[in-house]
Amino acid sequence: MRSPIRIVFEQRNETPKHLSVLVPLLSVVAALVVGALFLLATGYSPLETYSNMLSDGFTSSRGITDTLGLSTVLICTGISAAFAFQMNLYNIGGEGQLYLGMIGGAWVGLAIGDRLPTFVMIPIVLLVGSLAGALWILLPAFVRSRLGTSEIVTTLLLTYIAASLVKHFVYSPGSFFVTKNSAFPQGRLVPDSASLSGIGNTSLYPSFFLVILIAIVLFWVVKKTEYGYRIQVISDSPRAAHYAGINANRTTMSVMLISGALSGLGGAVLIVGPFGRLDPGIILLGYGYAGIVIAALARNNFSAIIVSGILFAGLRSGGDKLQISTDTPIHIGVMLQGAILLFALGGEAFRRYHIHAVRTERATQ
Amino acid sequence: MTNASHEVAKGPHHASGAAPSALSAHSIVKRFPGVLANDSVDFDVLPGEVHTLLGENGAGKSTLAAMLCGLYQPDAGYITRNGERISLSSPRAGLQHGIAMVHQHFRLVERFTVAENVILGSRDLSYKLNRSELEDKVAAVAESYGLPIEPGATVGDLSVGQRQRVEIVKALYQGAEILLLDEPTAVLVPAEVEKLFENVHAMTKAGKSIVFISHKLGEVVEISDRVTVLRNGRVTGHVSGRGTTDTKELARLMVGRDIELTTQRASHATGHEVLQIRDLSLTVGGVSVLSDISFNVHAGEMVGIAGVAGNGQRELADTIAGLMSPTSGSIAISGSLTTDRGPIHARELGLAYVPEDRLGMGLVPSMSILDNLLLTRDRRVVVDRTTVRPEATRLIEQFEIKANGPDHMARKLSGGNAQKVLLARELSGGRTATKLLVVCSPTRGLDVGAIETVRALLDDARSAGQAILLISEDLDEVMSLSDRIFVLYRGSVVHETPGESAELATVGAAMAGLKPEGKS
Repeated sequence: MRSPIRIVFEQRNETPKHLSVLVPLLSVVAALVVGALFLLATGYSPLETYSNMLSDGFTSSRGITDTLGLSTVLICTGISAAFAFQMNLYNIGGEGQLYLGMIGGAWVGLAIGDRLPTFVMIPIVLLVGSLAGALWILLPAFVRSRLGTSEIVTTLLLTYIAASLVKHFVYSPGSFFVTKNSAFPQGRLVPDSASLSGIGNTSLYPSFFLVILIAIVLFWVVKKTEYGYRIQVISDSPRAAHYAGINANRTTMSVMLISGALSGLGGAVLIVGPFGRLDPGIILLGYGYAGIVIAALARNNFSAIIVSGILFAGLRSGGDKLQISTDTPIHIGVMLQGAILLFALGGEAFRRYHIHAVRTERATQ
Repeated sequence: MTNASHEVAKGPHHASGAAPSALSAHSIVKRFPGVLANDSVDFDVLPGEVHTLLGENGAGKSTLAAMLCGLYQPDAGYITRNGERISLSSPRAGLQHGIAMVHQHFRLVERFTVAENVILGSRDLSYKLNRSELEDKVAAVAESYGLPIEPGATVGDLSVGQRQRVEIVKALYQGAEILLLDEPTAVLVPAEVEKLFENVHAMTKAGKSIVFISHKLGEVVEISDRVTVLRNGRVTGHVSGRGTTDTKELARLMVGRDIELTTQRASHATGHEVLQIRDLSLTVGGVSVLSDISFNVHAGEMVGIAGVAGNGQRELADTIAGLMSPTSGSIAISGSLTTDRGPIHARELGLAYVPEDRLGMGLVPSMSILDNLLLTRDRRVVVDRTTVRPEATRLIEQFEIKANGPDHMARKLSGGNAQKVLLARELSGGRTATKLLVVCSPTRGLDVGAIETVRALLDDARSAGQAILLISEDLDEVMSLSDRIFVLYRGSVVHETPGESAELATVGAAMAGLKPEGKS
């Protein structure tokens, strides 16, 4: 007599609190397991690779400062994505807005030159970079709020244009952004007044603390202010917003612009920080896309993004160093990033549903 | 009447001499997370009988029906058909045993014709459809039960009553011997209800069994041969005998205590005009939704708007609340024009609005009671929740809202409690003291106890001198509460009558668009 077993999904009335922590945590673990399978299959030792990554990313003092340094930009793109996602606006073009932030920051730095002191220059560079990021999402924000055009498509496609812009500014002869009379096309360094120096000669820059501060402020804005209240109403029920006289179009517009500005800030942070110049190498790094994963793992919670941003920075910087220390493939870090996103999104099912197996009862004939 | 005396006993009779029941449920148990929806429920229906399942929302009647037609499977207990044990793994299996459900929300394809809808899902169709032949077949089935339908008509063009008939014909065409009608009168006007009852009689005469699911006492008494009352998933009583049943007794079985539903229409000295509507017209996407509506509502007066859903009620309420701009005409609250000035301006003049959609429009489901109170109030730049918290606690107490406190999420409230939160917010005034209250279907979907409370609250508000515009599809409600009644049909006021002298037949006819005497 066969007794069939069915997997039953029952919608939860309420998500247990512990799952909100457990699901992201287990997504990371599951991704590490998948990564280990790949490492094994390609003849590497997962244990050795992971322990190397761990020490390079999180335990050595050099590793820690490198991780925190890299997390600066990742937290920027993470809060950028989350700020839009929380209102169901899927700005996945943070990557392009980041490029624009770099272009804007480098441009203003080079244009003003050494004429202003550092404490004026740094804010100007960061501000112009943010504005450039916001400018890059202006069109998607406008058509989304007025016509309802999908921002997923527009922001993504604009990223390719932004990448072409970066290449154009670096590779076209006589460009404002490059060193003249150089055999190899290379971005011009911004003046010293527009550069910060790493704390204690590490790759951790003071901009890290600014970004942490911004994440905390945003957390407060969403939880405590009328603006945050409006965002919550619109994202949950647009009709309730209409009922209460809340202007959803205007809020949509402003949320998207702020999201773009935050990614732009990420680009500008690279100008005052480690890069110091417009560098087409940024296109290969995918910091903007990483922000999407960081936001998803933190479930758009701004304080959790600080944690997931640092975690990702550790994976990335640990992974990047593997190539140097051992002969493991550099891409394990990026692969883990992708796997974590998949598991974090899949894990949503466990949060929303109570999943269990039942033995179906058959009426005995 | 014939079998009024015997059978008052508990549980269905098993093969103990009497004719085997067409369909029986035996000790059915069904659990959902956190709820015991059916707790060893026994139920049976005989051939040629109307057996009603009566109960409040959440009493478990729809759950039981869903198991009888194969939509759900019971956790324990079993179902028999003509005395033989059957297992219904899907609605299709139910159909094979001749059991069909007519759902409250119709499952018809609007672009298809009646005949196409009826044959949808049949497995014996040939590759090429012979439409005229099919239409003849469908018409034949319909006629044999006195169900007049036009097989070639497009379903999208039919009225609600006609669509329901299509659903019934579809069930009969598929060979149903037992029809489960889930709240069939909820969407009908009185004349259509009468027609439906005629059809039900025609079907029982032909030997079909009807399981009638309802919470409306009056019609239950009228149509049923037997009644089974459910409360909290348990059977609380069986009553048999048509017309001999006392509605008060049924209400007590249903709710578990005595209920007084008829509100006294206190004669109020009506005050000044709070709401003035002049020649209001609204066109949406080229379609006229409201045309030339003019009326006033005075302080201390309740004006009822009756009508079948979709005749412009929602738009009328939204326009008064400032959510839509009229195409022409004007609206004034307390003498100030509100036309084209948005919802916040209307609220500043004393408007309160309880929309038909509680969760999703009136309340934000994922927000707490506290945050929902803030929805229609002035919130400042930094939301000040600490000063509103004591008020939230007070309102929860005053309106007897069952919640864990101000932080209780709106989504987790029952329908009645959600409605109380909404009324608490709107009646307590936000930006200014409430002068005008617009309420849409305030008791829809609520259980009898909550209906009682909500109606009492509206009555208190009227006594306190607020002007109330009651827009409801529940004709009984409009008739029993309103001082004046307007009937809205296709966006126009087609009938107007004082509440005391209103007649059900006249108002019902006006709702159906039949020309009544009175206002042309």
